[in-house]
This record gives sequence, C-alpha cells and structure tokens, in this order.
Amino acid sequence: MSRRPVAALCIALCGALLAVPMTAARAAERIQVFAAASLKNAMDEIARGYSGAPPALVYGGSSRLARQIELGARAVLFVSADRAWMDYLAARGALEPGTRRDLVGNRLVLIAPRSSGVTLRIEPAMPLVGALHGGRLALGDPAHVPAGRYARAALEKLGVWSPLRGRLAPGENVRAALALVARGEAPLGIVYETDARADPAVRVVDRFDASLHPAIVYPMALVKGAGKEGRALAAYLQSPAAMRIFRAQGFAPLH
Amino acid sequence: MLTPDEFDILLLSLKVAFWSSLASLPVALGLALLLARAEFPGKTLVDGIVHLPLVLPPVVIGYLLLIAFGRNGPIGAFLEAHAGVVFAFRWTGAALASALMGLPLAVRAMRQSIEAVDRRLEAAAATLGAGPLAVLATVTLPLMLPGLFNGMLLAFARSLGEFGATITFVSNIPGETQTLPLAIYTLTQVPGGDAQALRLCVLAVLLSLAALIVSEWLLRRARRRTGNA
Amino acid sequence: MRLEVAIRAGLGSFALDTHFASEGRLTALFGRSGSGKTSVLNAIAGLLRPQQGRIALDGEPLFDAAGEVDVATHRRRIGYVFQEGRLMPHLNVRHNLLYGRGYARHADGPSFDAVVSLLGLGALLARRTQALSGGEKQRVAIGRALLANPRLLLMDEPLASLDAPRKAEILYYVERLRDESGVPIVYVSHSLDEVVRLADSLVVMSEGRVVGHGSVEDLMSSIELRPFIGRFEGGAVIDARVAEQDLENGLARLEFSGGVLYAADVEALVGERVRVRIRARDVSLALQRPVDISILNALPGSVVALGEATGASLDVRIDIGGTALISRITRKSANALGLAPGVRVFALVKSVSLDRRSLGYA
Repeated sequence: MSRRPVAALCIALCGALLAVPMTAARAAERIQVFAAASLKNAMDEIARGYSGAPPALVYGGSSRLARQIELGARAVLFVSADRAWMDYLAARGALEPGTRRDLVGNRLVLIAPRSSGVTLRIEPAMPLVGALHGGRLALGDPAHVPAGRYARAALEKLGVWSPLRGRLAPGENVRAALALVARGEAPLGIVYETDARADPAVRVVDRFDASLHPAIVYPMALVKGAGKEGRALAAYLQSPAAMRIFRAQGFAPLH
Repeated sequence: MLTPDEFDILLLSLKVAFWSSLASLPVALGLALLLARAEFPGKTLVDGIVHLPLVLPPVVIGYLLLIAFGRNGPIGAFLEAHAGVVFAFRWTGAALASALMGLPLAVRAMRQSIEAVDRRLEAAAATLGAGPLAVLATVTLPLMLPGLFNGMLLAFARSLGEFGATITFVSNIPGETQTLPLAIYTLTQVPGGDAQALRLCVLAVLLSLAALIVSEWLLRRARRRTGNA
Repeated sequence: MRLEVAIRAGLGSFALDTHFASEGRLTALFGRSGSGKTSVLNAIAGLLRPQQGRIALDGEPLFDAAGEVDVATHRRRIGYVFQEGRLMPHLNVRHNLLYGRGYARHADGPSFDAVVSLLGLGALLARRTQALSGGEKQRVAIGRALLANPRLLLMDEPLASLDAPRKAEILYYVERLRDESGVPIVYVSHSLDEVVRLADSLVVMSEGRVVGHGSVEDLMSSIELRPFIGRFEGGAVIDARVAEQDLENGLARLEFSGGVLYAADVEALVGERVRVRIRARDVSLALQRPVDISILNALPGSVVALGEATGASLDVRIDIGGTALISRITRKSANALGLAPGVRVFALVKSVSLDRRSLGYA
C-alpha cells in the first residue's frame, strides 16, 4: 500500500475517534427522566409544553428503571408506578431527600380486543379462566412490574389467582401487555385505565374496584445529585397545566 | 447444585436449543448450497436477507415473528387451523425465534465449507457416472461435514443466549418460554434476585463454553478423517 | 471406436479451434504446454462446453451445437484420469476404486479383481489416499476410471507429476492397458518419448489448433511439423520386426521396409513388432558406404528434400526403400556434399543411439 492513502486513513480514524467524546458530551446535556411505561402518552404531551430545556424521557417497567437507577443510571427524576419501587430506592439512599411527592393515581381495568364481544363482571370467583377459551391473560409480570403486582393482588382477593397461574402471558411492562391484547394475541388483559383509553384497538370489559388492591399511586422523586433543571421539571409536572393533561388522559391528580 | 426450578429452566433451554438447531439444519444447508453453488438474479439480495438476523435488533425480529406467526398472524393462523401447530406463548415459538437468529451463523459456516470443497473432485465424480444429486451426496456433503457440525453448534450456542426476539415474540412464561437468559433477566428485576441471577449466569457461561468446545473438537476430528480443511 | 472432434471454444484470451478424427487403441494428443490439449479432453468429457462444433463417438453425438445436443458428463461413459489424480480423500483405496461401480449401467465391465491385478493394487486396498505415493495414486486413478466401465478413456499427462522411476512404472501399466483392457485411450502428453512408445495415432496441437494428425510414423517424419515437435526431438519413427537377437552382444537385428537396423537392448522376442525412433540429430550422411567405422547401421537411400536452414544446421529428408528418415547436418556439410533431391546417400545411425528410450513395443 502506498503511503498517502494510509496516512489519510489514519487521520480520518483519529478524527472520528476524537469526535465521539464531543458528541457524547453534547448528548449528556439533556436531563434524563425515568418514568413508568404507562405514563408515556401523558408525559410526552406534557414535555411538549415545557418551556425549559427539553428532557430525554425514558419509559419502561418501573422495576427495570429502579434497578438501573440503583446501578448508577444518570436520571435526575424518577416517576414510578408504585410506592414499593420508590421505597426500594429510598432505602438505598438513591433519592434526593425531601423531594418525594405523589403525582397521580390510576385505576386497573380488564380489557379485551375491540373485536371481542366478551362480557364479564369483576366479582369474587368470576369465571376468568373459562373466558380465556384456552388463551392467556396478558398483564405486567407479577414478579416485578407494578401493574402486574396490583393485578395479582386484586385477583388473589377475588379468589381466582391460583387457577390463573398457568394461564398468564407476563409482559416486561404494562404496555407490552396492552400490545398483546391490541394485537388479538391474548383474549383478555389487565392494564391501567389510562392505557386502555390510549389504545383504540382494545375495549374495557370492566373496572377493578380500588378496594381490591393497594392504592395505585405514582410517586415522583428527584434522584440524588439532581440539579436545578431537575427541580424545575419536577415543579412543572405538578403544575395546573400538567395536571390538566394528566386528567384528560384518565389519571387522577393527587394534590 | 441446582434447585428444581433452575433445573427446569436448564432443561427448557436445552430443549429449545436442540429443536431449533435441528429444525434450521435443512434450511441452512439448502441456503448454503444455493449461495455457494448457484448463480441466479437476486442472489445478493438473498444473501442480504439471510444475514438480516445478524444485524437487525433482535426485538425487531421478535416483533416481525409476532406479526406473522402469532395466533392472529397470517402464517400462525393458517398453521394452527391446518396443522395444529401453535407458536404463540409456547416453547415452539422460542425455538422458532432461536432458529431464525442462529440461521445466518449456520449458513455462513456451511457455505464456507461447501466453497472449500474442491470442484475438481466433483468433476471427477461426474466422469465416473455420478449425476448432480449423487455428487452432492457422495462427495460434497461428506467433505463439508465439518462445516455442517460447526454451523449447527454455533446455532445451538446462539440459541442458548437468545433473548430479545424470544421475549418479544413469546413473552417470559416460566416453564414454557422462560429460557436461561430470560430467567436471568427476570431475576435481575426482582429485588434480592442478584445472587440467583449470578448462579444462572455462571451456568449460562458454562453451557455456551461447552457447546463451543464440542464444536471445535468435532471440527478437528472430521478434518482429520477427510484429510483436508 | 472412432472419435470425431470438431469444435470451437473461446476460453478467455485463448481460442480453441480443433478438428480431428481418430481410431486405434491409443491416440496421443501432443503439443507444448498451453496448446489446448487439456481443454480438448475436457470438451470430450463434457466438462467444457464448446461454442460451436461437434463431438461424436462411433457416430453418436456427445455434443452438437447445431443439433443442440450436449450429453451430460455423467452420461457419457468416458473415463478420465486427471493429471493430479483427484482421488476422493474421504474414501480408502477400495472405495475409491469402486466409486463408479454403482453408476455403471452396463454389467459387462472389467471385474474388480481383474483391474486390481492389472494395476498391482492388491496390497493398497485398505489404505487411505493420503498414505499413497504419487505413482500409487495414479494407478488407483486409472483403476477407478476403468472400473466405471467407460467406452473411452482419457488420460491427461498422467506421468507429469511423477519422478523417473514412477514414470517408467506407470508407462508400463499404460502399455498393458492399451494392450489388454480393450478400452480405447486418448492420451495427452508433451513428451515425445511417451507418444512414440504408446501411440497408434497422433494429433499435434499448437495454440489451440490442430497442426497435424495421422499415424505416428507419418507425422514424426513430416518436415512441416518440425517446429511443433521440437528442434531436438525431431526424427523419424520406423516400424520394424525383430529378426534376430544377438544376446552375447546385447544387440538385435531389426528388419523394416528399407533394410536392416541394429539396435541395443531390445526387449522383444524374435518375430515381434517394434517401433524405433531415430532422432534427426543422430543421423549422419555419407556419399559412399564408409569403411572401418564403428557405426553398424549404414542405410542406402536417396535425398527427397532439404528443409529450411535454422542457424548452422538443416534437416534433410531421406527415403530408405519406402521409409522416410530425417538427418540433421550442418549447412556447410550439405553444401560440401552437394546434397540435392535425388542424390544417393548412406544414412549412418549409431546402434547405441537406438536405446531403450527410442523403442516402443506393440
């Protein structure tokens, strides 16, 4: 190989390598918000109206997000779908003390694909297994996803959990469960009311009474080390403008 | 050693990996022969498609599988109605996902092996009266056997580690689709599951290492027997 | 068995344009490296598809561009012994030999034991091909081709990759093949020694074209073919019969149409046919029969033609009682002797120069 092309190649490679840290630095300027998957539609809309620097919104199962924060993910704000995962982080000193607030509430619903004509009432000893007709019940993974944990609590209280254990399709987060029902892969599913309203491909069969499970509360807190941008964003999320959007989507504002 | 639950997870992983490699064997061999020996318009395109699972995000593959092979998907519904075969939420779906993800690895290994077979030997076989199929069976295949085993074991090892496509296509159902990688993932989500997750990680590493070592050993043995690379 | 080949093929920068027909037990395809000999074999076997032309065996077309006939290789029943053997590495010798057996459609082929004994393969049957010497590999390759019961056998420079002792070994087996197997052979070589020893008829090729074909004797003594046959190799080939063996002196007296020749180390019995090659450079000329000279062979004849001079020498074609002989002498001597067509001369050939390498046995 002659020398000139080799030299040019080396220079190009060095340039590329140097460029990477610079772009990475720029990306790190956006503050990261970790939020439960079920908050996606609402928070995307809220963020559009935010006058400050646009944040990077990361959605997922609260379980996975909490574990990532614990292991050092650089989120400044965390909105969880249940108290348990927020407690988990608080116990490990991952949160900025005194910044925890309950943001909104939600309800659990039983859904079916829009084309399905199934009718069912949520009551003790309800014939849920029979209504599946060999299919599976889609829900967040009861082992760790909040929506799944709420669902399990409710089903246990109704006395129908044991026969259902082998007939579940556990999703990585509640939106995954929603998608399964929307696609018709699962004949029934348990998701948040807000999820059901967000997807026209599903219909609500019945609502779970709030007494059947621990209160569905979305706590919000600043992660340790969050700066003033994080605080500003947290304040905005509690503002009347934001709450209007939450209410429109079906969440219950909590303060 | 292993708890009964862990043992079940191990068995499921092995079962899925075994059947997925077996099922992809004829497909991989056919594609490898086609790409190694045939010339036809669109050959580069076929080559590209075969390699897609290597470069596409596994979740995309899983999603495409869901659309096509789910209970409401065109192929899935057809298979269920006419052959009684169901992939959704079943270990068969996990095997299908693994088979697809491992296919490019198997095809590559086999194709290289076929291309290394001396075509002059095939010409000699033809002069001795062997038609094209006979040449394939008595000369090409025996001489590319090392590549065949290698490809199969690579696909097997890949299946043991398959996650993204599986969890998207057939979910994470303990006892049915919760293979080793999915089990490890769940444990990392559950508070206090770290210790067990690490145990299973060690198991996963040992399994994959074993598969790769056996593959290498078989390759060497077959090379010695046929006397060429 | 009559083989007709009339083909045209373009092979990259090389054009093949060959026409010949041949009969006889062994037809040699002779020419320098790169003259297209192997391509012709490949076309006959069906491994190469010519662009135009026709190849026929006993009138049955194997390839005919006009008639759109192209019989697949595996149906032509033409055996091929390749230069590099091409034995199956994953089979032992026995299975290599038997490879073509299953596909042979005609039951009346040579028996396994007959071929094994013809080629001396008995001790090698269980060996793997990697453990064979070069000569052994070629013998197995020949045996394998024979056992597939071919109606024609192609051999592509089978001796090329062998050392001298192995060459002699395989040459012996090819002679036996020619004499005993009953399968006609097309034999490619760039060595004149092999051709003279083995061939009944000869096809000379140069740069993709056939420059001469016919009997070995005719072609060898043709002056036109001199450039293709090689300056130092050219000469005449004589068909003779052993009249007497002088065992005490190691000489044989050979009789041919032009007279008598004495040759050394002739391994044939009285009455057997022998083919003798006399190189042009081994033939001297004299205007009178010399006396008190060591040369035993002084053949009376007359000058037929004088060839073109190349450098200091030129070739003179002599007729000895109906047989042609070629002598290479200096221009100076040709002028000094006043040689011209019709001049009577004696052709002088040393018996010593008619040695083992010059002799071929029928």
